[in-house]
Amino acid sequence: MDLFLPVLYAFLGSGGFAILYNIHNLSGALICACGGALGWLTYLLTGPVLHSDIAQTLAAAIVISIYAEIMSRIRKCPVTSYQLLALFPLVPGAGIYYTMEYAVNGDVSAFLDSFLHTVGVAGALAVGVLIVSSTVRIWLGRRHHA
Amino acid sequence: MDYDKLLSLAADLGYGLLESGAEIYRVEESIQRLLWAYGVQEAHPFVIPNCIIVSMVTPEGRSMTQVRRMPSHGTDIDLLECFNDLCRHLCVEKPDLDEARVRLEAARKACRSYSLPAILASYFMGTAAFALFFKGSLRDGLCAGICGVIIGLVVSALGRLNTNMFLKTLTGSALGSFAALFMTWAGLGEHSDCIIIGAFMSLVPGILFTNSFRDVMAGDMVAGLSRLADALLTAVALALGTAFSLGLTRLIWGV
Repeated sequence: MDLFLPVLYAFLGSGGFAILYNIHNLSGALICACGGALGWLTYLLTGPVLHSDIAQTLAAAIVISIYAEIMSRIRKCPVTSYQLLALFPLVPGAGIYYTMEYAVNGDVSAFLDSFLHTVGVAGALAVGVLIVSSTVRIWLGRRHHA
Repeated sequence: MDYDKLLSLAADLGYGLLESGAEIYRVEESIQRLLWAYGVQEAHPFVIPNCIIVSMVTPEGRSMTQVRRMPSHGTDIDLLECFNDLCRHLCVEKPDLDEARVRLEAARKACRSYSLPAILASYFMGTAAFALFFKGSLRDGLCAGICGVIIGLVVSALGRLNTNMFLKTLTGSALGSFAALFMTWAGLGEHSDCIIIGAFMSLVPGILFTNSFRDVMAGDMVAGLSRLADALLTAVALALGTAFSLGLTRLIWGV
């Protein structure tokens, strides 16, 4: 059970930041929070198969994006609204922090290692989002407007 | 039809969308659709994060252009949804231009914003949850929440002074991590790294980064690159602010 406690925290974190992005309806905030939890659940569940946090991030970003696309179709709102906050738990905040700490400590090899890894995670995040949005756009045959 | 009014309406609609943090293609497309809906076939909007240019040729063959300068802005989902909705309705219903203008003003007024205490509560909850998320203890979560509130206060105070994103992030992260290190030193927090990372999450430019890639992939190179530069600068500000506090506390307390 302890393993899945972070999913709850991801839910609270994504939902908590909803006010910062000026989301006013409760359902919108809940959709974001569920997206965050769903993303982290995917990350954890794909762990035993993929064994790499970059690949896990990619998988989670794809799942979140699909979820956000579906929600935006249902509620007729821009996709961004739901994707934004749901992606928060995947953002490599810890990576940036440790990279900076190694830099302050003057540990060059650890710094480079951590830096490249952080860039990798951020890249995986962006690629995951792009794969889904590009596919949806091809599927709809035009730039979408929902 | 008064094409001057139409062009102003389209540019203002685009302005509202861009201000709310919409993707570039959404802004361009909304302007184009609106102009098409009102019978202007030749419409060429060009949007980058701080400027909107709309050029069109009226059916009589006169060409017209308007430019809107966009100050730096954040993300406002409520405004985005209002304007997106408005654009859809205008394109379908095609009310006359005066009524459309009234509805545009009404949409802007209808858009709500939260009070400072609500925003601070959001900072508290988000940062506390993320400190726990990054394997902090409950006490770390509490400390991160306090740091989050400090960051929220700093960001909104500096926001009132119209400072740029770089300075806001730099000051916010420096004060936030200083508070984290102080609370750890005072014995309230247990893991300073978990606290700082949790507090970090309220400033991390992850969204900006993803959006910039999205713009590049959609073919909006200039917009994408300028947002990427923005995201990287913010990340640097975040790291510098924290590095400053880490260095300072090491000097003071030698931890």
